[in-house]
Amino acid sequence: MKSKKKTKVITVYLVTIFILLLLTFFLPRLLPGDVIIAMYGGQEMLITDELYNELIALHGLDKPLIEQFLIYITQLAHGDLGYSYIYHASITDLILDALPWTLLLVVGSLTLSSIAGIILGVESSWRRGGRFDRSLLMFMLLIDGIPALALGIMSLTIFSLYCGWFPTSGAVTPYSNAVGITYIIDILWHLTLPLAALTLSQIPGDYLMIRNSMLLIIREPFVLTAYAKGIKERRIKYLHAARNAILPFFTRIGIRVVCIITGVLFIETIFAYPGLGLLTYEAISNRDLPLMQGIFTISVLLVLVINILIDISYKKIDPRVEYA
Amino acid sequence: MEKKEIVIILIIIAMCLITPVINAESTINDNTKNQLRIADKTGDWGYPNPYLAYARGPGYMRMHFIFDTLVWKNETTQYIPLLAEKWEYLSDEDAYVFHLNKNAKWHDMEPLTAEDVVFTIEYMKEHPYGWVILDSVDRGEVLDEHTVKIHMSSPYAPFMEDIGGSMPILPEHIWKDVENPMDFTDETAFIGSGPYTYVDFSKEHGTYQYEAFGEYYLGKPIIDKLIYVKTGDPQMTLQRGEADFTSIKSDFVEQIKEDGFVVIKGPHYWNKKLMINHNIEPLDNIIFRQALAHAINQDEFVDKSLRGHGKPASYGLISSESVWISPNVPDYPYDPDKAIELITSLGYELKDGVFTKNGKTLELQILVSMISTGGEGTPDRDGEIIMNQLEKVGIKVDLTSLDTKIVDTKVINWDFDLAISGHGAIGGDPKILHEKTLQVPGVKPNPNCARYNKSEELNKLLDDVMHEMDPEKRKEAVFEAQNVYARELPAISIYYPTWYNAYDPDTGVEWFETIGGVSKGIPIPQNKLALIGSSAAKEGKEITDVTSIPVENETQGSPLMPFLAVIALLLAFMAIRIKR
Repeated sequence: MKSKKKTKVITVYLVTIFILLLLTFFLPRLLPGDVIIAMYGGQEMLITDELYNELIALHGLDKPLIEQFLIYITQLAHGDLGYSYIYHASITDLILDALPWTLLLVVGSLTLSSIAGIILGVESSWRRGGRFDRSLLMFMLLIDGIPALALGIMSLTIFSLYCGWFPTSGAVTPYSNAVGITYIIDILWHLTLPLAALTLSQIPGDYLMIRNSMLLIIREPFVLTAYAKGIKERRIKYLHAARNAILPFFTRIGIRVVCIITGVLFIETIFAYPGLGLLTYEAISNRDLPLMQGIFTISVLLVLVINILIDISYKKIDPRVEYA
Repeated sequence: MEKKEIVIILIIIAMCLITPVINAESTINDNTKNQLRIADKTGDWGYPNPYLAYARGPGYMRMHFIFDTLVWKNETTQYIPLLAEKWEYLSDEDAYVFHLNKNAKWHDMEPLTAEDVVFTIEYMKEHPYGWVILDSVDRGEVLDEHTVKIHMSSPYAPFMEDIGGSMPILPEHIWKDVENPMDFTDETAFIGSGPYTYVDFSKEHGTYQYEAFGEYYLGKPIIDKLIYVKTGDPQMTLQRGEADFTSIKSDFVEQIKEDGFVVIKGPHYWNKKLMINHNIEPLDNIIFRQALAHAINQDEFVDKSLRGHGKPASYGLISSESVWISPNVPDYPYDPDKAIELITSLGYELKDGVFTKNGKTLELQILVSMISTGGEGTPDRDGEIIMNQLEKVGIKVDLTSLDTKIVDTKVINWDFDLAISGHGAIGGDPKILHEKTLQVPGVKPNPNCARYNKSEELNKLLDDVMHEMDPEKRKEAVFEAQNVYARELPAISIYYPTWYNAYDPDTGVEWFETIGGVSKGIPIPQNKLALIGSSAAKEGKEITDVTSIPVENETQGSPLMPFLAVIALLLAFMAIRIKR
């Protein structure tokens, strides 16, 4: 019975991957306009018929669509995402260069905002109706209304331009020759503002979610029982109540990762942070078809992998769940 | 926590801190040399060599510090010597002779000779380099070690700007074995003869580093280290002191000046223009197009769209600040009554403020989009302004805003009435008139070329612009071509935006605007001559023969190590917690 379920889950994932690959392949090709003219038209060069045919052949656009798709899938299976025309570089290399920076931002803000969201949510619900709860709720709703983009620009203007505490852009000081601890400090120093802006934009969602589910959990009889057993309040709060309140929060991580990746696009553009978001922006504004396709494929796979991980670990967190 | 756990955590922390230190090659922070930082938003403009730098102005600028051309331009209107000390045009043979500077050396200390120039021509003919088209060049010939003769296959008037001042000379001893220049990224791919040597380029961070070439034939550059950085907001980077040279927003000029920076007001070598589908009624009629020109109030665009930071355009396409501007280009002063009069003369009738003919209202569609200049979109209000102006003279307007690429496609397919577009290079060689007016067979249509081949008179004049080798006669042809262009109006130039750059004078470098733009007309004031030691020589300072300082390989790092360290730490903590 169990293996049958497993096969079913795997089939669902494989079909999803296939459909998504199909979409990432065909959607950019549905954009209006001649691809070659769109890609090279902005450059200061004359596109002669000869050059045009060469470029068509270079990008493999002279073959039928189905054949192009098969080539794409075969290359993908070998870890080859193609060649970017704006960067003159292998797309796999470009993405591998950018991915660590984006992961640094995404994982960092996911961790920080989860921790902050959980603690604030639990504390707030524990003192529901009190002054702390009400003012925090107001504050969070206010922050929730400000998009990551605006938070980024605000923090850049205040902390970088006026206070001069943080650098305006980039991930490291170019050619500073810093090594060892200085290098790590340099990276963290550059990371602070983008990470703070991204994290701040994520906290309200987490906070509201935890607060709401906590309010339901607190009324459950087992909390009362725990009190009766004489367990310390802090233990009840975090080990008994929060553990149960965290489940819906956990389900949401998959969706949140997608949100953060969108947020990262803006944040990275504002801070010129060399991650995937900035790469996406460059790819779209330059109509670099192969690069767009590569980034979309990787993002899609990334989100799917996270979903699989959540599916697997769900059972660990809530033993009552047999099949997610 | 148990003792064992504490020990594990301590070991992990120690490991993350030590690993990068072990990997490091040197720990000296080298800030003693004088350096200059230039910031821009895009960062990556390709590896700085002719084939890998992107075929746009900023890409060429990053390459021009490393590779020298035969001649060059500065803040005067004459071509000045670079690799070639002297040159002459032999009209009877249709050939150019260049006498090379005998002190010119490649960065690997090999001498630069006439062989290299001949090789470059052959190589670029075999492996086309998009920026320089060598169709008009027949071959190069070595006269002696330092003299080269370039034979033309047909007279080509823009030769000096297009080839002499744009073609980077390649070292034969390196490139002769290179089969595919697009794949060539070895260290040797960046050996040129220019004032700066290549140290590093990071695609990931969009940064470049160059080091002054001590043996440069015009003297060692005054700045030892030149760095390009990428930034989200160039102006802020300048104000924060993270860069010494950037472009700035027009609204902040006064503030930046107050902060002690020098502001360079760019020349007007870029124009916004109205593309016209001159194949359909009534736009195929010259009178109607002239009526449009009278209906358009250029000043209103400058005031509202540019908030005053710009100027009205000349109707002859060539920039009014170019040395090639015709003194008597026809002008179309803003005059709605005149426009109405002209349209009426074509058989239209003005009813309730709208023109009609044979029961059909006169309606035109205008396509607008965010036009990007140098890779950045520029939001504007041009669409609404032109709509109001045309509706004032009785033309009904359907304003349609679309993606730039879609507008381009519609224009190329002649699927439009009017479209707002724009392009640069109107301050350089007047061959732009030919390029943006005529559709040449065998070349794919360009969305901002008028493709107006129907005027015999203009065709003849534009042919002279390209092939007349007598400077005086060519000038006459250029003037007359502008006059005819402005009379027939294949497209209507509207305005020139003003761009500003600012730099920190404390670096000792005085940047300047190149007349006609660098190379084929790049309006970026980063001319390498501003950095060359000969300016020190001009002030009477002696140029000491400094041997080039050995350059450490300073490459930009990846965050992988610290990132893995953070992950390792997190995993360790999680492991401990689960155990509990």
